[in-house]
Amino acid sequence: MSGEVLYEVRNLTKRYGAVVALDDASMKLHAGEIVGLVGDNGAGKSTLVKCLSGAHLPTSGEILLDGMERNWHSPHDAIQAGVETLYQDSGLAPHLSVSANVFLGRELVKPGILGKMGFLSQKQMDVQAHHDLEEVGIAVPASGRSVSQLSGGQRQAVAIGRAVAWASKVIILDEPTNHLGARQAGEVLNVMLEAKAKGLGVIFISHTLPHVLQVTDRVVVLRLGKVVKDAPTSEFDAESLLGTITGLKVD
Amino acid sequence: MFGTSKASRGLIVAAGAATLLLAACSSSSSSSTTSSAAASSAAATSASASSSASGSAACDVTGKKVAFVMGAESDPFFQAMKVGAAAEAQAKGMELIWQGDAKEYSPATQIPVVDQVLAQKPDALVLIPTDPKALQPSVAKAKAAGVIVANVDTKVEDLTDVTTFITGDNADGGAKAADSLAGAIGYKAGTKYKVVVGLSSETATTNVARLEGFKKAIAEKYPDIEIVDVAYSQSKPEVANTNINNWLTKYPDLNGIFAIDGTNAQGAAAALQAKGLAGKVALVGYDAYPDNVKLVKDGVITSLIAQVPADEAKQAVDAVADALCGNTAGIQKEVVIPNFTIDKNTSEADLKKYTYVA
Amino acid sequence: MATTETHSPNPAGTQVVVASSRFKTLISNQQFILLIVWILMVIGFSLINHIFFSVGVAENILLDWAPLVLIAVGELIVIISGGIDLSVGAIVGFTGVISAFAMRSLYEGSLAEQPYLVLAIGVLVCVIVGLLVGLINSLLINYAKLVPFIATLVTLGACSGMALVFTKGAPVMGGPREAIALSPAWIGPFSRPVLIVVVVVLILWAFVHKARFGRYTFAIGSNSFAARAAGINVKRHVTKVYMLSGLMAGLAGFFFYLRLGSGAPTSGLGNELDAIAAVVIGGAALTGGVGRVSGTVLGALILTTVTSGLIISGVDPQWKRVVVAALIAIAATLQALRKTEGGAS
Repeated sequence: MSGEVLYEVRNLTKRYGAVVALDDASMKLHAGEIVGLVGDNGAGKSTLVKCLSGAHLPTSGEILLDGMERNWHSPHDAIQAGVETLYQDSGLAPHLSVSANVFLGRELVKPGILGKMGFLSQKQMDVQAHHDLEEVGIAVPASGRSVSQLSGGQRQAVAIGRAVAWASKVIILDEPTNHLGARQAGEVLNVMLEAKAKGLGVIFISHTLPHVLQVTDRVVVLRLGKVVKDAPTSEFDAESLLGTITGLKVD
Repeated sequence: MFGTSKASRGLIVAAGAATLLLAACSSSSSSSTTSSAAASSAAATSASASSSASGSAACDVTGKKVAFVMGAESDPFFQAMKVGAAAEAQAKGMELIWQGDAKEYSPATQIPVVDQVLAQKPDALVLIPTDPKALQPSVAKAKAAGVIVANVDTKVEDLTDVTTFITGDNADGGAKAADSLAGAIGYKAGTKYKVVVGLSSETATTNVARLEGFKKAIAEKYPDIEIVDVAYSQSKPEVANTNINNWLTKYPDLNGIFAIDGTNAQGAAAALQAKGLAGKVALVGYDAYPDNVKLVKDGVITSLIAQVPADEAKQAVDAVADALCGNTAGIQKEVVIPNFTIDKNTSEADLKKYTYVA
Repeated sequence: MATTETHSPNPAGTQVVVASSRFKTLISNQQFILLIVWILMVIGFSLINHIFFSVGVAENILLDWAPLVLIAVGELIVIISGGIDLSVGAIVGFTGVISAFAMRSLYEGSLAEQPYLVLAIGVLVCVIVGLLVGLINSLLINYAKLVPFIATLVTLGACSGMALVFTKGAPVMGGPREAIALSPAWIGPFSRPVLIVVVVVLILWAFVHKARFGRYTFAIGSNSFAARAAGINVKRHVTKVYMLSGLMAGLAGFFFYLRLGSGAPTSGLGNELDAIAAVVIGGAALTGGVGRVSGTVLGALILTTVTSGLIISGVDPQWKRVVVAALIAIAATLQALRKTEGGAS
């Protein structure tokens, strides 16, 4: 299942003033691997995601992509390097169309001087967005449609499809199955498996433990900012995973 | 804020200015203790710098300190006033202290200036209060310190402690505007004429008094002139411009415009120029700011009603000089100075005299 | 979930999605409603006084419309981005007097023989000063972390205050007299400056609805977190947005100069409220992410038509405020209706 080490953090610490949100955390992600990142509220999952996605700079520690140390100064840096992140509930601009969201930040422009001035090739984006979403297994009615007109599940599908379509190395999904019905959640999990099959590394953050157990290869458990467990998924069942998260189960 | 304060200042000034002419006569006769005083004050209103002739006071006021505290020092209106004050103070050998906030017309900035001036122990204080109530304690304070107090242009609410209040007459200004407009359109009884009035504010006393004076004169002397529209510009020239533009469309046979202040004159002058009607529709404006005077010379503005700030100051200096000598009998409690009409026939000398100093 | 594309900020605007009823389609088409309202106004005012239906009145309306639409479209872009710019009215007066000073000194000095060159420099001064104030707004927002309302309130005070101080409250004349000569109508009711404004608005329309600039603006107003996560440099874009708004206000300041042949410190005071009214009547949402240039153009046209209409009708123009208030109430209600009708769960 696992190829090269693709994305790695070493001894990552993040402080917000006096609060230590992430304390000397280390983890690895291989190509073609899905790693589950779990932990209680306040365990440091969001902070770790923000560091991994370039939204925040860690206070200390190293981030390595393809074995090279990286300092993300903005999400833009991480995206450029092939690391896509889907944030919980806020990945899309609701007033924009599906294709505008899929292409947000990397719009296709018209050829020539018009393109230099930033004029958009909207038709091409509509077609391409539809195609890209279909390819990752997502059927969305029309790419010209405004995201605010989609159902919650459709929105999430677009957001994930967007991330998978653009990611060249790593995709980070923060609670992608939240608020979704069983069938829609199943679709999302399938998209993750597709991404894995494409050789991407996937980091899956979730509270829904059955989903984690269903698709991940490995699970990293955070508690109070520290990595307390990093083991193959096969070593866990629902009960032991919950115990590790809460700290009630002693190894 | 500036617009309003200026407007109210102007109002008072105008009120004073109009009355000035009358006042000039009356004050001259009343300030009669010495004949020369009468002569000088008459001269002050009607014309030239006969100020040097004003050895009016019965005693020597040489070396006495007279302090002026005005509103916004930078306003050309006050600059013109300063010229009049300085000339008269020099003629009398008095020392002039001239103070005011650099730009703000506000009691908040003026009260500290008054305190600072009183600390210099002047013999007389000529105050142009920026607020009738707020400056009352300053007047009391000056009086308590034995300083003679006069008000010019605007006044405090209670004039008990004030030796004299000298101001212009806005109602007379409005009447003069009616006369000038009637002259410009060649008024003949029996022919119907249409005029409009551009104002800045429904409430500013200057605007109200000028409009009243204008309407009254029209009703009494020029009944065939109809005031077909009035509108307010909120002191914005582009709004005045819009009003005039639309009136010029609505009344293709419009005869004249009374622009009640500088802002309206600016907007109206631009409208007439843009529509090629300069000189064809009479335009009577207000306030002799240098740029307005230039438009009179160019024939865009038919005439300007000017206040006479220099004369107001001169009379104030004369009055406090009299008071310092104890000649209080001849000092009028309130002196109203009429306005002056500037048109293209006005002599260069008068233009120089009445144009506010920029 | 049943509105059409027409009012959605999707600049593509290509595919019209199912509208569940004709009514919903109509109320969702703000521009269509505005057009009808405007035509009814023209008919009504013309019935009151037939002179209203004339080239002369159209010329007057366009003279008012042009500067208003400049600042309103600038304001629209700021509002789409989720901000607000209260400083535009003050920038109008400030740039007007600064460039009037510059033009006067040039025209009375070395460039007395070249009025059009002096005017061109005047435009440049307005543009530069407007851009600078916009830049200051964006610095206050991006780095001093002031909310746009406060940041632009600060520059509003600074600009209007400085305009009064520099001019001592009096208008600044003495520039080229050719300025006023440019104001009369040239083609139909359109003067040259008005035609230039039309071109500027068309260019802005293209950049807002057809180009990346607008796409980013909508994205930031819709969800700035998502925009940043998508790699958009939000601070830099916000800077551009406020600078553009300042630039538009500077151009409006110059337009007033052309109209009046002078710069006045009181010019433009309070115009930010007219601009915001035009934007809201035009169907934009103050919460960001929604708006159309065409709606704002019509909103501004309706406001200025009301002004001229009331003057020509002989109604106290102060009634304009009441009419505008009613229009805003109707526009906001339609906006809310669309939200309930068209909002996804």
